[in-house]
Amino acid sequence: MTVTAAPPPAQAPHRPGGRHRMRRVWENSPRRLIPQTWVLTARILRRWSRDPATLVQSLVMPAGFLVALDIVLGDGIEKVTGHSGLYGQVPLVALVGGMTGAIIGAVNIMREREIGLLARFWVVPVHRGAGLLARLTADVVRIVVITLVVLCVGLALGFRFEQGIPAAIAWVFMPAMFGVALSAAVLTLALYSSNTIVPQATEIVIAMLMFFSIGFVPLDQYPGWLQPIVEHQPVSYTIEAMRGLALEGPIAEPVLWTVAWSAGIAAVCAAPLAIGYRKASKRG
Amino acid sequence: MIEHAFSAAPRPAAVPHAARPAVSTIQQWWVLTVRMITPTLRNGELATQVIGSIVFTVGYYLPLKQLMGAVQPLSSYAQYLTPLIVLQAIWFAAVSAAFRSATDSVQGINRRFRAMPIASLTPLASRMTASMYRCCIALAVSVICGHVIGFRFHEGVLYAAGFVGLALLIGAALAFIGDLIGIATENPEATAPLMLVPQLTLGLASVGLQPVENFPDWIQGFVRNQPLSQWVYGLQALAGDSTDAAPEATWSVLAPGLVWAVGCIVVAVVLHARVSRRRR
Repeated sequence: MTVTAAPPPAQAPHRPGGRHRMRRVWENSPRRLIPQTWVLTARILRRWSRDPATLVQSLVMPAGFLVALDIVLGDGIEKVTGHSGLYGQVPLVALVGGMTGAIIGAVNIMREREIGLLARFWVVPVHRGAGLLARLTADVVRIVVITLVVLCVGLALGFRFEQGIPAAIAWVFMPAMFGVALSAAVLTLALYSSNTIVPQATEIVIAMLMFFSIGFVPLDQYPGWLQPIVEHQPVSYTIEAMRGLALEGPIAEPVLWTVAWSAGIAAVCAAPLAIGYRKASKRG
Repeated sequence: MIEHAFSAAPRPAAVPHAARPAVSTIQQWWVLTVRMITPTLRNGELATQVIGSIVFTVGYYLPLKQLMGAVQPLSSYAQYLTPLIVLQAIWFAAVSAAFRSATDSVQGINRRFRAMPIASLTPLASRMTASMYRCCIALAVSVICGHVIGFRFHEGVLYAAGFVGLALLIGAALAFIGDLIGIATENPEATAPLMLVPQLTLGLASVGLQPVENFPDWIQGFVRNQPLSQWVYGLQALAGDSTDAAPEATWSVLAPGLVWAVGCIVVAVVLHARVSRRRR
């Protein structure tokens, strides 16, 4: 009985030319994409969660930054606007935390290109899009976690949601939208350069987005010629949308602008990013 | 091994001692320093340094001029703010020092240096020289930026030289800390964010943006005594002001900042020695 029921030894049909012996699923089939992306995402997240420096950067530092920002500017902003400055600062800190994390991803991809890991992935039957998609997915997870941490600190300082639970859930995912678009841009930059300029250039961009946004000080505090730039840059739109979702104010328009900015950056980066990743994977 | 000992006469050394070229520590230091500095001219690092200093100047000055300008004691907000801008710029220079030292550690070139006839402190000395070069550029650019928005030295050449000297000492302390972080983490990915957020946090919670009286009571002690604030006091005193509102450049104003800077260097040197011994 047992002998007859034993599974037959692997009977690979002979296919000349060394085709796949397993199920006939093409390596670039969408059915492979999701499980493989998940494996690669989990790899990146596991690495981050075991690196103390990344953890400190993502979890401790934004909390300290938010407290400092609230102490220094909170009173002044409340005097000018009548609202707690937290409704701009909590989104701002979540965004800055998420954006500085893009540097980690960029330096990471440069290093994995140097040590040949990307080339190693390229020679195994992995979906060609899984590597990049995993990086962006991991970034989304990271930014959402940072947002939640910053939110907890904000709640302790007096931040409250006044628009109900669905708005609060949407609020949590707003920073990830622009953050992941910026991550894609930084990754593109990293794939086309081989030196230390990436972290610093990114830092400069982040610092500019932070200083000249409505989350830092209210719009009317900026000189007149600067106000249009401050008003229409993506971080300001994201913050305005998040203020609408948490406190009061327009929601649809700033959300649309945030989506437009993110989609625009993603569209510009998409082709260079894919080509650069392919080139980096074929190196050496 | 044992077979070797029994086999025959000792083999001649691969390189006879007499044929080894003489090594000059000064020359080695110079070569390693040039190795750090030359790429900055080509790969855009110098450009980011300059742009970074400008961004920190306009980034603090334009948004905060109205909000904070009224509550500070000096003749203009530019005069009040520039010391903080200088400090942020040299901190930014220390971030790239950290990145370079982490890259060197992780790529193993430091280990390679240890296997070569180089004095053990020479690589560190050359990294510090390159850091001071970045620091000088950051200082020059930020003072020029300050001059554009209205910052002036009011106390004469001697005090201006003191301003530069104190800023360079602080830059050395920060570069040392950056180098230590780079060597200790061996993780280039994390160095930049790890240093950027304290830079902004300490910068905001310092007397560089607004006087200590404007902070809530419970945090005033921290704000007044943290290193960045003491350095701001020192630099403000050395720069002076057209009115008498700037702090006097006396030892009681300057000493805490000097002690913080020297203390940072001492602690960093001790930790540095410990980390590099662990690596050996």
